[in-house]
Parts: sequence; structure tokens; C-alpha cells
Amino acid sequence: MRTKADLTRLQTVAAAQLAGTTSHGEIRVARPVRLARGRVHEVRGDGADIFVLAAAAAATGPLFWIGAAREMNTLAPTGLQGFVDPARLVLTAGLTRAETLWAGEQALRSRAAPCVIIELQDGPDLRESRRLQIAAEESGAIGLVILHGRARTSAAETRWSCEAAAGGGWVWICTKAKRGTPGAWRVSALGKHHAPDLVPLAASATA
Amino acid sequence: MRRTLSLWLPQLPLDRRIRLGDARTEGAFAIVAEIRNAWRLTHLSDAAREAGLSAGLSLADARAICPSLLTEPADPVREEILLRALWRWADQFSPRVSLDPPDGLLLDIAGCAHLFGGEPEMAATIHERAADLRIMARVGIADTKGAAAALARFGPELATIAAPGNSASALEALPLAALGLDPALVTDLRRTGLQTIGQLYAVKSSELARRFGLGLTSALERSLGRTPDPVTPKSADPVYAARATLPDPIGLQDDLERIILRLADSVCTRLQTAGCGARRYRLTVRPVDGPDAIMTIGFARPGAAPAAVLQQFRTPLDKLRLEFGADFFRLVAESVEPLHPRQTGFDRRDERQDDRTDLISTLGNRLGFDRVRIYAAVDSHLPELEFTTLEAMDRPDAPVWTPSPRARPLRLYNPPEYLRVETPGRPPLRFEWRRRLYETACATGPERLAGEWWRDGDARLRDYWRVETREGPRLWLLTWPGAATPDWFVAGRFP
Repeated sequence: MRTKADLTRLQTVAAAQLAGTTSHGEIRVARPVRLARGRVHEVRGDGADIFVLAAAAAATGPLFWIGAAREMNTLAPTGLQGFVDPARLVLTAGLTRAETLWAGEQALRSRAAPCVIIELQDGPDLRESRRLQIAAEESGAIGLVILHGRARTSAAETRWSCEAAAGGGWVWICTKAKRGTPGAWRVSALGKHHAPDLVPLAASATA
Repeated sequence: MRRTLSLWLPQLPLDRRIRLGDARTEGAFAIVAEIRNAWRLTHLSDAAREAGLSAGLSLADARAICPSLLTEPADPVREEILLRALWRWADQFSPRVSLDPPDGLLLDIAGCAHLFGGEPEMAATIHERAADLRIMARVGIADTKGAAAALARFGPELATIAAPGNSASALEALPLAALGLDPALVTDLRRTGLQTIGQLYAVKSSELARRFGLGLTSALERSLGRTPDPVTPKSADPVYAARATLPDPIGLQDDLERIILRLADSVCTRLQTAGCGARRYRLTVRPVDGPDAIMTIGFARPGAAPAAVLQQFRTPLDKLRLEFGADFFRLVAESVEPLHPRQTGFDRRDERQDDRTDLISTLGNRLGFDRVRIYAAVDSHLPELEFTTLEAMDRPDAPVWTPSPRARPLRLYNPPEYLRVETPGRPPLRFEWRRRLYETACATGPERLAGEWWRDGDARLRDYWRVETREGPRLWLLTWPGAATPDWFVAGRFP
């Protein structure tokens, strides 16, 4: 027969699972935009770099950037320096998609890096993203997956579509949010010395 | 009184083949090496010598003389390893042994010879024990290094001993090459009619120095003991290794891991006692039915933790196929470095630093350490040369980044990507890049940079334009000024 203590424990476990976002805290990219720690987030579009860097700047500690050598070679620390200190970066080049995903999982699991950036061509599928998600949950690290190709059905917490807007600034559209409401924002003047300025775009959000 | 014993191993490469049980050494066999653009014989077996061959002969000539000749290229690395093994072996005769590469050892035997019953008996013991190892040795004993080496190489017998204080007379009859001089100098000396070392005694050393340089006189002085030339022994580097030979082969993953943990324990305990850590560990597994499997793992920081060693070996062990099990294991620590203990801080910074190096090791061991890199700033004004990447393994602590003073794009395309101009302009008003059309909204520039004219390579002027497009992306366009119809490229992309 179940005792009362067992029941209480069960309830707390259930509560912790429900309130997954709060178990590891979250980082504030900008005032309305928050990303949960211990989760994997997907970012698409031309302006994905800037979104990822804004998130990375809000975290501290080493920053692991994992991807194919072709994409990694185009990254310029001279351009990154406005957002994060390039000395924080550790670049890891995977030859194949499997290697990149393995490296990403290891980095997420290791507790070494509070923020891991993974560059992929096509989005991780349900199985791959579950593995990343579990690894991130174990350590409380935040995983940011940059997608150059199409996104697939995945276990990611949120999915963002980021494009540079004509006339300066960017448009960030949250197309998927497991525990929140999708939305769209117009962002201007991001950087170390400027407070980001987010203006919500009305009615352009799609869930 | 100083006494030096020179041990010369005249056919070390050949002895190595004999020790390996190479059956070819019975017949006409020779070790060959590439000397002066030709393969030449360096060491010959007795049968080859009887067939009329000699060292220094080119391989083509040797084949013509003796068509049944079999050869093997020299392997300097393995020969040096054998010589180093003999160096450790030689400390049973004297505590002060130094290497005399490529094929000799020098022993300071002052006060040691009586332990073997005198110098001739000591030489006999050395011959006997070297013969047990199937290695041919020649011994020379004299007061100085030079004299001992000369006697070992050119002495009349297998063991030639010059009585104390008698070096000059012992060397008298030996040819000049025995002094270990440059071959060109020996030829010069021979032209003047000097053949033996004894003939040099009659000539004034100032005259010798004026005619043949100080090299000759100083070699002579050292050999005769007029200037000191002691044996400088270097203690052999300790080898941190452990091995396990089992009565029955094992093959289960758990058993393998237990054995490796035991080996790692033994190696790491010794490393820790010495205050050292290793950056690389090599594991040799000998399956009962096949060749050795050799696995190497690396660490971003020298370490001596058995659990970490086992952890890194798990991946290669997984891939290992053992059909019938393995019964021999050997673990060696390589790249041993002193371990600097650190103060544990109150914050989690050190811990996080450890986590970072551990992760770099894990990633590097699977992907290759050249694929885990960090950025370092370089002093240059050209955008693609302003930074470089280093292997993260060599730099366990993150380097300090010196910020570049100019605003640079986030993505830099090197080489720049060609764009097709639709409507020309400066910069182009409409262009196609990566199969998309862009229209320039506003442009700033040019930023004109000169190439690095003080180096070889592209020293042309370049113009960079920062272009905002109506479609959104902010690009960095590049052109070389001065051309009639300028080509345009995309050099980078701003956030």
C-alpha cells in the first residue's frame, strides 16, 4: 500500500516535470524574449547568428560552437567581438552530421559549457532532438541549433525564424513555443552597449 | 684517474633484424639507406661480405655482383629505440653511461672495473652479455672518450685496452679517421701525406691549426686528455608503463575495462608519486589470433587520473573486435609533463575550467585534436588575416583576445564569393548572389586597404563597401580598383 510520503514525492516529481522551464532557470535575450535553460532551441534564417549571439552573450563561461568545417570557417571573431568575447569560443568541426550531433550531445551533457551552439544543415528529427534535449536537461545547459536548411518535427522547446529587416534591425518570429505563446518582434540596435529594443509586430505570429 | 669505455655496436641495424628472427640474415643480406641520392649498402651479413660486397656500394652495383642479395631499408627510429634500450641495459656496468649516436655508448668506468675483476675481464663480460642479446659489440678502453672510441672502432682486437696514461702510444698506429673528423678533412690530411695519428704528434699544433683549422687540434687534444672531455651521463627518462599478461584470453567489455583500470592505476600512481601527468596514453592489446591493436588517447591537460584514462579508452575499446579474446595488455604514458597542483578556489571557476579541458579531450579523442580549435588574434590589417585558430589542446586556458579596432562582418567569406552584376554602379545597384537578387538600398565606403606589399602574394589595393539591401541582408562587397570593368565579390556579411 502506498504511503503518504510516496504520494507526496510523486507529486513533487510531477510538478518538477510540469514546470520544466523553471527547473534550470532561463536566460533573457531581451525583455520579452526568454529562453529556458536545460532546453534546446532551434533558430532558422539569415539572422540566426545574431539571435544565437544575443543569447550567448546573456550566458557566461565557455561557448562551444559545433558544426561542419565549411560553415565554421566563415565565422569571423573580429565580427563576433561586439557580442561575445571570442576567447570564450571553442570551435569543433564535425565531418559528418552524425559527428556534429555526437559532439553537440557530449558538449551539452558535460556541464562545461552553459551554452552550446550547433550548426546543422537540416533540422534534427524527433529522435536526434530528443537525445540533444535529454543531454541538455541533465546539465542545465542551453542548446541553440542553427538550421541552414529546413526544420523538421522535433522536440525543441522553441523555434525562431530570424531575418534581417530592410532599413536596419531584424525581425524575430517565434514559430513554435512549447510552453509559451508564439510572437513576432522587430529588434533594433543589439550589441554589448545597447539595450535591445523590441517592438512587437502585431498578428504576424503563426503557431 | 678517469677511465672511459667505448662500446661500439658495428652492425646494430643488422643485429636488430637478427634479433627479430629474420631468416634472410643467414644468406646474403644487407641493410640499405639512401645516401647521396642513391640506395647504398650500410651493413652487410657475413655471406654478403664473402660474396665480395662492401659497405658504401650502391644497391645497383651490389645486385650486379651478387644477384641473390636481399635487402631491407634502414629504420633509424627503431634503431635509436634499440640503442636507448641498450643504454638502459648498460647501467649494469657503470652508473654513468651516455649515448654516442648512432651506434655507440660511452661508459665512465672509473672505479667500476674491479667489480668485474679488472678491465679485460669487464670487456669479456660485456662481450658475453651482448652476445646473449645477439648483438655484436666492440670495446675500447682508454683515459679519454676520443681515445676509447678510436680504439673501439679501429683497434686490432674485439676489446682493445690502452693502459692508464698510455693513450698517445695506443693511438699512434691508428688511421686519422679514428679521431672522428670530418671526412673532407681526412682527405685533406691524406693529401699532405699524413696517414696515422702518430704522424700528427711530430707536427706543431699551431701549424696544424693554421693549415687545417682548430677542429683537428682540439680533437687531438681531447683524445690525448690534454683538455678535459668527461662523459656526461644522462639518466634514462623513466618509462611509465604497465603490462598484464593473462593465462587465459579475455574478451568481455567488463573484463577489459577492469584490466585497463588496473594498469591505469599502476601507471597513474607512479606518475603521481613523481609529480607528473601525461598528455597521451597508448594501449596495446594483443589478441590471441591477430596482430596487436594499438589505441592512443590524448588529454588537453596532463593528467594522472585512472578513471579519466579508462573513460577515454571506452570509445576505441568499443570498436575493437576480439573474436577469441586477448591475453596481453600494455599501457604507456607518453608526453609526460610535471603536474602543477592548483589551489582550489571558493568559486566554481577552476571546476568549470576542468570541465572545459575534459570536454576538449573527449571531443578531440574522437574527432581528432586538430578539429577542436580556439581563436587567437593576429596583428594584421587585412580582414582575413586578423585572426587564426589554434588547437585547443595545446592551450588549455583560453587566450586573451585583442579586439580589432574596425567593424568587421560576422561571416567572412575567404575566398570572396563572386556576384553577378545586374545593374552596374559603384557599388552595383542590382546584383545576384547565391541565386538571389538584391537591390542596393544604401552603401557606405569605400574602405580602401592596401595588400601586404612587404610579403609575397596579392598586394593589390582593395575597396570594401558596406551595402544595405532592400531585401534585408547587409553585405560587405569587395572590388579591386583600377580595372575597366570591375569584378565584384561578396567578402562578408554583417549581422
